[in-house]
Amino acid sequence: MRTETEIKNALRNWIVETNNKIQPEQLSDETPIIEQRIITSLQVMDLIFFIEKLSDRSIDVESMKVGVFRNINAIYDNFFRAIAA
Amino acid sequence: MRDFATTVKKLCDASIKDYINPYSSFDWPEAVNPEQWFTSPELISLHGTDVYENLADAGKKRLSFYEAVNFFSLNIHGEKSLVEGLAERLYRKGNDEVTGYLHHFLDEENKHMVYFGGFCMRYAGKIYPNRKLVFPREYEPGEEDFLFFAQVLMFEEIVDVYNVMMSRDERLIPIARQINLLHHHDEARHLVFGRHVVKDLFDRHSPRWSGETRQAVREYLKHYLVAMWKEYYNPDVYRDFGFEAPFQILEMAFEKNRAHRKRISEGCVRYFLENEMLDEEPAL
Repeated sequence: MRTETEIKNALRNWIVETNNKIQPEQLSDETPIIEQRIITSLQVMDLIFFIEKLSDRSIDVESMKVGVFRNINAIYDNFFRAIAA
Repeated sequence: MRDFATTVKKLCDASIKDYINPYSSFDWPEAVNPEQWFTSPELISLHGTDVYENLADAGKKRLSFYEAVNFFSLNIHGEKSLVEGLAERLYRKGNDEVTGYLHHFLDEENKHMVYFGGFCMRYAGKIYPNRKLVFPREYEPGEEDFLFFAQVLMFEEIVDVYNVMMSRDERLIPIARQINLLHHHDEARHLVFGRHVVKDLFDRHSPRWSGETRQAVREYLKHYLVAMWKEYYNPDVYRDFGFEAPFQILEMAFEKNRAHRKRISEGCVRYFLENEMLDEEPAL
């Protein structure tokens, strides 16, 4: 089981790698990744796969609002808080 | 434009002539034995990988069942947003010429969901969840319509290659073949319409877009095709089959089967390149 810091770091690394332009220090836990187009709508599917892999759970997008992916804190709260160490 | 009007009229006539009732057109078996072919082996997402080759024949067939459920599920998700988008465009100002056909398009997409859903719910008891999200944003005039129909066309072009191959594959159980065949019959018309409407929208609107928008549209379509293909590699399928590391399987198969995606996408990519809606081949 991963800790909150480990999960957030894993998410940050994935976002930085996927965006390929942003530097890790430019990305806080509150940076709006969707609003600032750091992650595009077409990359959300990969983000969902990454979250599923990290949390070992399936995600049904149809029951969700885009806001659940708005920043690292929101992703953590919506998909990991209940299961993190 | 005259040619387009003639094509639309012909498509409407064909839709009326080939009208089908999705509730009475199928002989649904009470139950299906999962150790039969539901998907052509060559179209199974893991085909050609060691993981697949090491499965016994019965295992390959069982996997083909989950792959069929995924194929039909992703069609349902695509069609749900298509129906929404088509309904929004009915009787919209400037769409007079195509509204008659949009009625058929919408009707036929709804029927497809009836039989795709019929298969999934009868035999798998579920539809695999959707993982696509669209973020609202601002568009230049005509850009949203163009992207809507261009994405629909890309989706249907790929699906149709699968449909044609599976409708002819005598190894498949009859119900799987029949679903693929009936879907292909309607899709053949949708593709003719799609190719006309996408080119028309691009030719009419793109000259007025900024160079930046034209480039962004081409980039988007390139990435859309790749993202669309990812839906064919579903970790839920691998999990349901019993693989222990579904995401590793996904990554391995996606990497391995590039040539397959390229081959299947060939006609679609050629159309978009020839009409300058893509400026290079997507990195499939």
